[in-house]
Amino acid sequence: MIINLRINNNQHEIEISPGDSLLKVVRSLGYHSIKFGDEHGLTGSDTVLMDGVPVNAGIMLAAQAEGHKIVTLEALGEHPEQGWKESQGLHPLQEAFVETGAIQCGYCTPGQILAAKELLDRKPNPTEGEVRDALSGVLCRCTGYKKPVQAVLRAAAVLRGEDLPPLAGTMPAPPEWTAGPGEPSSTDGEWPVGSDPSPAGAVDLFQKVMPKISLATESDAWQQVGKPEPKVDAVKLTQGKPAFVADYEKRDTLIAKILHSPHAHARITHIDASKARELPGVAAVLTHKDLPRVAYSTAGQSDPIPGPLDCFSLDNKVRFVGDRVAFVAAETAEIAEEALGLIDVEYEILEPILDVREAMKPGAPIIHDEPDYVDFADSDPERNLAAEIRIDIGDVEAGFAEADRIFEHEYVVPKVQQAHIEPHVVLTYWDEDDRMVIRTSTQVPFHVRRMIAPVLGLPVKRIRVIKPRIGGGFGGKQEMLIEDVAAHLTIATGRPVLCEYTREEEFIASRSRHPMRVRLKTGVKEDGTITANSMYALSDTGANGAHALTVTGNTGHKSMALYVGDGPYRESPNIRFYADIVYTNTPPSGAYRGYGVPQGYWPVERQIETIVQELGFDPLEFRLKNTLRAGELHPFSTAWSEGREPVPETIVTNELPECVQQGKAAIGWDQKYGDEDWQQVPGQPHLRQGIGVATIMQGTAIPYLDMGGASLKLNDDGSFNLLIGATDLGTGSDTVLAQMAAEVLGVNVDDIIVYSSDTDFTPFDKGAYASSTTYISGGAVVDAAEKVAGRLKERAVMLLNEVELFDPVEAEEIELRQGQAVSPDGRAVSLAKIALHSLHHADQEQIMAVGSYMSPVSPPPFAAQFAEVTVDVETGQLVVDRLVMAVDAGVIVNPVTASGQVEGGMVQALGYAVSEEMVYDDEGHPREVDFRDYHIFRADEMPELEVIFVEVFEPSHPFGVKAVAEIPMNGVAPAVGNAVFNACGAAISDNPVTPEKVWRALRS
Amino acid sequence: MIIEYHRPQTVEEALALLARSQPVAVPLGGGTVLNQPSEKDFAVVDLQSLDLGTIAQDGREMTLGATVTLQNLLDSGEVSPALARAIRHEAAYNLRQMATVAGSLVAADGRSPFATVMLALDAHLSMARHESDAKKVPLGEFLPLQSEHVPESLITSVAIPSQTQLTYHYVARSPADLPIVCAAVAQWPSGRTRVALGGHGEIPLLVLDGRSPDGAEKAARSAYSQAGDQWASAEYRSDVADTLVRRCVQELGE
Repeated sequence: MIINLRINNNQHEIEISPGDSLLKVVRSLGYHSIKFGDEHGLTGSDTVLMDGVPVNAGIMLAAQAEGHKIVTLEALGEHPEQGWKESQGLHPLQEAFVETGAIQCGYCTPGQILAAKELLDRKPNPTEGEVRDALSGVLCRCTGYKKPVQAVLRAAAVLRGEDLPPLAGTMPAPPEWTAGPGEPSSTDGEWPVGSDPSPAGAVDLFQKVMPKISLATESDAWQQVGKPEPKVDAVKLTQGKPAFVADYEKRDTLIAKILHSPHAHARITHIDASKARELPGVAAVLTHKDLPRVAYSTAGQSDPIPGPLDCFSLDNKVRFVGDRVAFVAAETAEIAEEALGLIDVEYEILEPILDVREAMKPGAPIIHDEPDYVDFADSDPERNLAAEIRIDIGDVEAGFAEADRIFEHEYVVPKVQQAHIEPHVVLTYWDEDDRMVIRTSTQVPFHVRRMIAPVLGLPVKRIRVIKPRIGGGFGGKQEMLIEDVAAHLTIATGRPVLCEYTREEEFIASRSRHPMRVRLKTGVKEDGTITANSMYALSDTGANGAHALTVTGNTGHKSMALYVGDGPYRESPNIRFYADIVYTNTPPSGAYRGYGVPQGYWPVERQIETIVQELGFDPLEFRLKNTLRAGELHPFSTAWSEGREPVPETIVTNELPECVQQGKAAIGWDQKYGDEDWQQVPGQPHLRQGIGVATIMQGTAIPYLDMGGASLKLNDDGSFNLLIGATDLGTGSDTVLAQMAAEVLGVNVDDIIVYSSDTDFTPFDKGAYASSTTYISGGAVVDAAEKVAGRLKERAVMLLNEVELFDPVEAEEIELRQGQAVSPDGRAVSLAKIALHSLHHADQEQIMAVGSYMSPVSPPPFAAQFAEVTVDVETGQLVVDRLVMAVDAGVIVNPVTASGQVEGGMVQALGYAVSEEMVYDDEGHPREVDFRDYHIFRADEMPELEVIFVEVFEPSHPFGVKAVAEIPMNGVAPAVGNAVFNACGAAISDNPVTPEKVWRALRS
Repeated sequence: MIIEYHRPQTVEEALALLARSQPVAVPLGGGTVLNQPSEKDFAVVDLQSLDLGTIAQDGREMTLGATVTLQNLLDSGEVSPALARAIRHEAAYNLRQMATVAGSLVAADGRSPFATVMLALDAHLSMARHESDAKKVPLGEFLPLQSEHVPESLITSVAIPSQTQLTYHYVARSPADLPIVCAAVAQWPSGRTRVALGGHGEIPLLVLDGRSPDGAEKAARSAYSQAGDQWASAEYRSDVADTLVRRCVQELGE
């Protein structure tokens, strides 16, 4: 059928199929700001305005939209500088999203801005509650919504004509601040949706966007590092530019679809794709019969992969509901889907293993019985064992013998998903040199290139991996997940192939956090000294062993390292960490922000709370008495390093005590903890308030392994191209790396043009994982910038000493600042002049340098996380009212992006605490296949979030940084669990803390 | 998959289209459910031009046109706080702009807050029929048959009483999550009280329609005594249903 669509005042006459969604049609017309997030309209990344109101284009038919006025983000504003052409500039909403740090990955930004625009058009002075309601239809997994909400309030004020001071360029909050007793929580038993009484406008916006921060003195003189610079990619993302994989269009691109297994464990006895191949429009169908068998691991890790090789692009066996059976490439998605239905498959159903406790029992079905399985270390497929860990530090049995009390408990942590709003998506094609180009949404472009080569039968040098903007990753894209699907189909057809997961595929056929059953035993003396602790983790790696060893290793390495004990035990702690990581017939587990550590802190911190309550200690004093301190050896550094040789490492910086103090003050701990009056809610006898805490640590990169590279090139105008392999997946790493380069070179951030990443152009970087980019890639950037700075100074001296009137100056005396090279006598030459001189005038050279960085240490960030909750003791209903996190992450390069990271991480962790889990029935079919059942938090149901940075200069890094990305995941769930216990005495041992679990605990 | 799209201009035209069986034709409200991926081939009859988007209030009852969206209803100023809460609980902002009153009831499962409160309110659906008189069907009769395709018929409006008091409470993992149990109680000036439960099963359940709320809690407990599934045990749902209904009834008097 032919329809007429009016989009942004353009009329389009277009031929469509009746079932075509508005999303598909609008994107095909070149409006790329609207994105696919899911097939049910629950992410809202497909938002357009129809007759002024926000609707989900993905679940609206294009035909329905005929006769209506459609507006996409492209209609709003444009880059403020358009050369000779006058620019209307950005819309105030777009500006506010840039200024407030409301944009992380930017995938949901267009939807948020359009939803906000409708609100502000209708209501110029909205309350915060109204803003949150308006944004409730657009899910964001990065930000925790705090900054987007403030962006809308700020834009509202601007649109009302209020004169607001700029946020960018302002200094962080002063080191001293007054902590109040904490705001009273809204606990009337109903949730404050749309009726929020909080003041409108931008009065306290600054405080809400900026974290509290106590500054390290080392940063006093810095001009760029430590400042809330807007993200370098924000201007393009706020306009919804075609920056993501699926936005890149190649002529004649085929669409790939995957046939997924309906069975949890089965052998394919017969597969016939001939009918599918005959369907007009089908370009290729691949089954296991068509591809060579190459065993590989999907885990995006350094060589050699620390895990078994137990994956095949296609196999004659399926190991979970959702496993791959066949690939199709066709002219359209509809034809490809139809072809999947024409593939004739017969299965021999095998008994599945769905309970992790059954996996190692004698006689259990063997999930990996293939002869070409490649072992790693202690993997033993005949026992369904992907990896095992046995770490003994000190003498645990002796330590237990010295204890006055032994505490032993079992805990269960669930399978949860990264749930990035941009699904996995990849485009592959042969370029004009017959090299395979893989444009993919990945955290690990260099690993993908190395790892996919043998799978495709191509040498590494004939593969080019390009990582454009990424719509969130959180570990889910530290994986070579579907790159091979598209590439095999490109090899089969010779044509470009796009493979984009649906949301259902994300749930059934991607990766997730390892679920674990954890036994924890701790010995304590009467005086509160921990004498020994021992953890056994039975970890469920699902059907494949990607990240099996390293994720679970970190469960011990980072959660069991914190409580070393006191007195002599500090010198020689007694710690045991044993784990078996076993196969089951569920979707493979993998990397998810926190990487095994949240699984460890739920048991550790829940048990600490039990110990504290039983022995009558103060929860915070008990923790600080026993936690690791600066100057002490990281206990696990002597025993384990991601399956590689360990090297002992001393903790140099640790501001955990100060984090506890600041967090306590912010949440009003002293006024609330133990106060029975506070716990009651007036007029609501069935409600109880509670407060809880968890203290935690993480690591910063993998020592002696992780390496990042950077190259920096001077341009004619004194600007620089910074080329990095580091992979900004929305975190802001491109921005903080540019800030570091700008600091060394004495220029502004906008003189640094950042490009990441392309395996043909950018230096190697191991990728975005292990909380490493700011530290490792930052070290590389500083290395390259210092080399360039050295050349700039030499060239400045050449120019300055041309003038014989003055005393000659030496290069070492030159300072780079404000875009100039300045000599001690005050003379200056601009970098632009140096650039022209070096490129064109005399002794010509390209000033350019490559830097790289590898660290012998992994300095841990430390934090205290607090939660305040209200529990309904009749129904078990739990509402989390407030989360506070005080974190020592070293020096903060950018307080806005860093606090955005923390807020977003806290909210993901909140889901882990209360609402997120992946559950399977007794045939291995998933309960959660969409965001209706897998509930991630929305803008209109958020607790109050507060972030405090306690800075300290970590001397192992040129700018004193440690990591901040993953640590927010670790402590929210146990802090919530502890707060529930504090509120009503319900001791929950399995997260998430659901109403029924609380109800049962209260009745037991 | 949707293989035909029609946008009739009159109800008669729509009914004629809905009378066809090859392919099966179904009415399209906002499309928030119908437009999701589906393996069946069918035709849709878009109701947007039928002028069914008005809200009428006559003091005795409020008549909602079939294509009134949930957000239209919320913005009408005619809804009680409890109904507003249930509408917000039903869907986030974007979906409320698209989802229609009639479509939400047709597509509702047991976890629909909106269908639960509408059942308590004894909503009546006006069904236009091809070549015969329109008839009014109580929602309670319609819901069990909702998945059966009735050709040649179309919901044109939904009527709810104006003079009732409504209360709504729920339990969920988070404030905006689907309910594990939700309860709605409507009371008429005469004392007539209807109690509905949601959160489980294929449709919300009416647990009481009586001259007073007497026995409502026990009825709720009993109605959910077998309501166990992957999300919650029957024991839990049954107990919570009792508690929530008690709170709803108590709140009526406040």
